[in-house]
Amino acid sequence: MMLFNIFHRPGPGAHYDIYRQQQELAHQLGLKTTIFLYYSDLFDPRAIADAIHDRDTHGDEISLALHNLTGPEITEISNGQIALWLLDRERKEQILARMIGKFAEVFGANPTSIGSYHLDSSCLEVLRRLAPEARTVIGGCFEEGVRVFHGCNHSWYLFNEGMPWNPWYPSKTHGLRPARDEDDAAGVVAVPHLVRDMSLAFEGRNDFWASHPPNVIRGMGNDASFCPYDLNLIDQYRMQAEWNGGYSYYNTFVSPSWLDWNHNSEYPPEVAWELYRKFLTYMASLKKDGQLEDLTLSAYGERHRQIRPVGHDEVYLAKELLYGSGKHYFWFVDPAYRVTIDATQGGSIGDLRPYAGQAPVATGPDTPHRDIGSYPYLIQSQHRSGNAHHCYDGARTTLLLKHAGQTLDLCNYRTKVASVTRADDRVKATLTPVSFTFADGLAGELTTTYEFGNGVITISRQVSGLSAQADLELIEYFKGAPGRTEYPEDLHGIILEANGSSPVQREFDYSGQWIDAPGATEVAAVIPHVRTRLSLTSNSAASGRVHAGHLFSPYFTLQLAHRLTGNGTTRTCLNLTPIAA
Amino acid sequence: MSESNSYRSVMRCPVCFSRDTDVLMIHTGTDFHYCTKCSFQGLESEIRGMYRDIQKKFHNMGKRITLEEQRAL
Repeated sequence: MMLFNIFHRPGPGAHYDIYRQQQELAHQLGLKTTIFLYYSDLFDPRAIADAIHDRDTHGDEISLALHNLTGPEITEISNGQIALWLLDRERKEQILARMIGKFAEVFGANPTSIGSYHLDSSCLEVLRRLAPEARTVIGGCFEEGVRVFHGCNHSWYLFNEGMPWNPWYPSKTHGLRPARDEDDAAGVVAVPHLVRDMSLAFEGRNDFWASHPPNVIRGMGNDASFCPYDLNLIDQYRMQAEWNGGYSYYNTFVSPSWLDWNHNSEYPPEVAWELYRKFLTYMASLKKDGQLEDLTLSAYGERHRQIRPVGHDEVYLAKELLYGSGKHYFWFVDPAYRVTIDATQGGSIGDLRPYAGQAPVATGPDTPHRDIGSYPYLIQSQHRSGNAHHCYDGARTTLLLKHAGQTLDLCNYRTKVASVTRADDRVKATLTPVSFTFADGLAGELTTTYEFGNGVITISRQVSGLSAQADLELIEYFKGAPGRTEYPEDLHGIILEANGSSPVQREFDYSGQWIDAPGATEVAAVIPHVRTRLSLTSNSAASGRVHAGHLFSPYFTLQLAHRLTGNGTTRTCLNLTPIAA
Repeated sequence: MSESNSYRSVMRCPVCFSRDTDVLMIHTGTDFHYCTKCSFQGLESEIRGMYRDIQKKFHNMGKRITLEEQRAL
């Protein structure tokens, strides 16, 4: 069953008529919407009357949009800042108090839901205090933030990265981190602003590839009013119900300006309208077939509380749709981490967010984070190179397979996700086998299986079908660095550790030196930046190595080596454990 | 949605767009549109051809892939 939200908001001038046409289209199709009114709309009798009419006639919800901080007694506080989360705490509270007070004055009650591109931890705290009735929010825009620095024009930074792709319970200390438990939870259910293509949103601009037909036009993914991609993406989300308790989630939020002539499209408005109509018509057909339920945002929030307990995990198997590349990505998120497996790079980890450390972030000029509300990464292979493509590699994991003086790097082998299963509170993803051949003719297959959950990622490597009984060395490899953008952070303060016959404990010093740890069954990095200790452990390991990269390659690297003679399987745990702040 | 809307003559630079950046070109009333960020300038017909080139990488742009077909991908 797909649960679906439609969000609409009025626009100024001629765009108001477009908003009304959007509402009319949804209602003709028998679909409910949630109407987001800006503060300035709360002074417009027509906008108020129409919203009340739609609520009373069609069951829509009237909600408050926090963006565009203009209107009486607010413009002079915001001073041109349009994003609430980028103000200092005092101004956030002043503006929220005025907005919520005006909403209650107009509608006789506080809003039951709130819309924002992002809600940082201080916004959430103020919001919960001023409007406890607002139990559901639009709370983030997936990766659309510092990544957009790569690709966006000069005026449009939203600063969200490292968040869940599906609805979540924001924690008190970071609005994008899913809460561990009720005590850790900020008290709301958050949904993303649009859902994203979990292949292309990872590789590039996620604003193009999302549940928003005119955005796909912006990305040039359409051929005039022919754009099957819009429906393909819906079906890919429907597929996720298989691994997520029978439910999937989708929303759309097309504002009127996208259905008019606009600078993000070289097509006339009729094309955007036609694609939006096809999109909603498909949703209506799914509803008619009993495969979709349309809800207001608040109703979704209450449903979420019934079907997803705080602390739940979420799985997404992404199969790239538009290029026809055949690429698979596998995503897993729970309160301990969010991880992306890049199956096309042999199952390398492409992105890792260590939620376990519960790194606190609030944004605003009164915070050290200023404008960057991301949840920091330890691996982000798009920002930080990943597999080597011209010089050194960057942040990634891999398996190095060694034999007779030759090293094969699993990142250079394409796989797919062969199966995803759930058992014993853990999720298992098995990749298709890789066929390998060494220069001396030794050949075989290697199959990787991941298990996720409870703060651990277990990596199994099964070697089978070896053409001869031979010695192999299998080295689990982790190269990472705490970061928030493309640029390196100061890595001083990281401690590299290993056990074994010559235990290692060494401060990260940019020396570029490898330190061997014979007999090690654990190698680790203590990373105060993210309040996390990351370790690789395996009782069957033979040795380890740790490395403090120099300034031209600013990463720490951990290696844990196994030796096999003939076929066999190794198991390594990647552990993320919190450390004291 | 007037046909005479000024956006009608606004196009994004195909060179900048090919590196994922939206940059609106300026149309001075001559046949050429020019980019404010890079050195590209071109005729509308040429620009639209370049948009088509950008889309060539989307091999499945015209392909409906149903839920059942995606399960098998």
